[in-house]
Amino acid sequence: MKALLTMVTATSLCTAAASASHADTPAAEPLTLRKIFTQHFTSSRLFAMPIADVVGAYQITFSGDGSLLQQPGLLTSAGVVALGFGDIAQLEYRNSAAVGATGVEAPIPAIGVQLKVPLPAHHNWPALALAFRLGVPRRETIDGAELEESVTDLYVVSRLHLWGPLRNLTLHAGTRISSAKAAALSPGFDTTEQQRLLVLPAGGWELAMNPRARMVGEISLAPEFRWDPALGGVPTIDYGLLGRLGLRWNLIPSITIDGSIGYQVEVGRMNDADSLRSLVQWDIRLGAEIFIPWGALMCRGVGAFCNR
Amino acid sequence: MHNPRVNKNHWLSLAFAAANVSGVAMAQAQPWVPNNIPPPTPTAPPTPTTAPTPTPTPEGTSTTDVVPATAAVPTSEVEPTTSTAPTDPYRFKPVKPKPKITVDLPEVLTTPTGYLLPAGILYSKSSLDTGGGAATDLRIGLGDVAEFGIATTDQVRGRFNLNETAQRIQPYVTASFRLGVGENRLFRHQPGMTLGFRKSFEREYDDHATRVAELTLVASKHLGDRATLHAGAAFWDAQVRSLSDASNTYVLHDQGIKNQLRAFGGVAVKATDSADVLIDWGWTPEFCYTCTNQVRLRAVLSWGVRYNLADWIRIESGVRVADIQNANLLDAQIFGQVTFVSRRIRDAIDSLRE
Repeated sequence: MKALLTMVTATSLCTAAASASHADTPAAEPLTLRKIFTQHFTSSRLFAMPIADVVGAYQITFSGDGSLLQQPGLLTSAGVVALGFGDIAQLEYRNSAAVGATGVEAPIPAIGVQLKVPLPAHHNWPALALAFRLGVPRRETIDGAELEESVTDLYVVSRLHLWGPLRNLTLHAGTRISSAKAAALSPGFDTTEQQRLLVLPAGGWELAMNPRARMVGEISLAPEFRWDPALGGVPTIDYGLLGRLGLRWNLIPSITIDGSIGYQVEVGRMNDADSLRSLVQWDIRLGAEIFIPWGALMCRGVGAFCNR
Repeated sequence: MHNPRVNKNHWLSLAFAAANVSGVAMAQAQPWVPNNIPPPTPTAPPTPTTAPTPTPTPEGTSTTDVVPATAAVPTSEVEPTTSTAPTDPYRFKPVKPKPKITVDLPEVLTTPTGYLLPAGILYSKSSLDTGGGAATDLRIGLGDVAEFGIATTDQVRGRFNLNETAQRIQPYVTASFRLGVGENRLFRHQPGMTLGFRKSFEREYDDHATRVAELTLVASKHLGDRATLHAGAAFWDAQVRSLSDASNTYVLHDQGIKNQLRAFGGVAVKATDSADVLIDWGWTPEFCYTCTNQVRLRAVLSWGVRYNLADWIRIESGVRVADIQNANLLDAQIFGQVTFVSRRIRDAIDSLRE
């Protein structure tokens, strides 16, 4: 009986102590929308080139850009939706940069996954990532004849933050291994599917000009399809150069504004007279990237994922 | 032969200009009112012995901004503040004064400068001249690093042959993007520098589709308190395409770099505290549809005065000679233009960040 009383007393004391300890713990701060949308966000791209970062767990991003100047009377655009999984992976749907037979930078839809290699985050060490994009066939009509194109890519990209006097500069480099396919679909043409494996370099840099704005440049090669229905024959697969120079400005942490000028050399390659001096082929693109921390919103809205 | 005709786009241009002027004018007509009116959320007021209720001043500061009242009171004398203390929901919060922003304008009179608009600053310019020309320009600063703008210009001209007088092709809609670094940003005495690209949408007029593009590199430097010097190089390109003959397409870049590259510049001198005297020298393309060289670059000399009415409005007037190479003063135009600068967007962005 005495032992039982001792146990009850001890249990009560422990419970009381635990209660007191719980009461001393400060309550968690409320998760406000301002807090949710002003946290730190990470982008997984420069303008068109993927980089060795992923958007992060419980995040989704919507980004896109467009140009009215690239082709008279035509709005060209491209966009990406990326969904983060863990801190090292993301699923994405994108319109990647490629060059159509009409000379337009024709977006080809792709779905893919990007994986950041979990290397130890040491100072001055490069980061590494792999991105696989499965091309979805896209049809292009040229003078009434149909051409089907698709590009499947494997990117290997790395990123290096420099240090010392160059600490504001970040370099990006990578290789794009593309399997491009093209076939004419219209009757009366040779419908044999053409396929080519291309190994295409890509590179870029970011220079932090102030805490919220970065100057960005990138240059890369992209698959290019050429086919002239008037000449007949099968489509050919080549590559062209895409270059952009501009800025990425964090309007607020969850919204980034992009602006850039760009040139595609492949337009010049279609006509020997054209070259880098052909300024009328350059264009101005404006875009934005919006980060939605869906995990935090779910926590605030329905109480789910709060332990994350 | 060229027949001048009323173009519906001309009216669109005038409407756009009017909307542009009135829109920004309405946005600026009222004095800036602090947007941090006291929030309804009550806060615990300081006890009478610690600090008096701050009194807002016309400058938007409060007495508590200057000397913290609690610093003068020994800690032992401060009564503990409890959550049950009465609150004053009408108490003004101290108003944080907005930092003053110096805006160096992105154009002298017609040529670009090496200065960018600060982040979130909206700029608008509308001009008219005695030749019936109308132009507008709307820009916004991006991240203190770049600037984007949409404009209509009345400076591009065209004619069928050299015996005709060139007529304006307006409105000629362009988009521009400039990137650069501010003055003294990288090192002392470094001039402000910008790399700009301007390109037009394709314009159909007189059975021809034309478009122009310009890449500029400009440096600007303040010389003392009263003078500013601007100098740069422009790389031009233009295209003329006949709408009735698809094979007839002419591009300037086929004529070699020397026909594309031009130097330009300008000077601004502060004559009084509120007025600047401005001179600039630039270039503009002119089309000649049946000539051997269908695109020529013509020099434009402008001079005038900028009157700074307030931080947000300036009035400019002067003379523009569109073909100074041939000393064609008969073609000179007197122009007037008004410039507005608004920081409303910047303030909105700042309020989102706070």
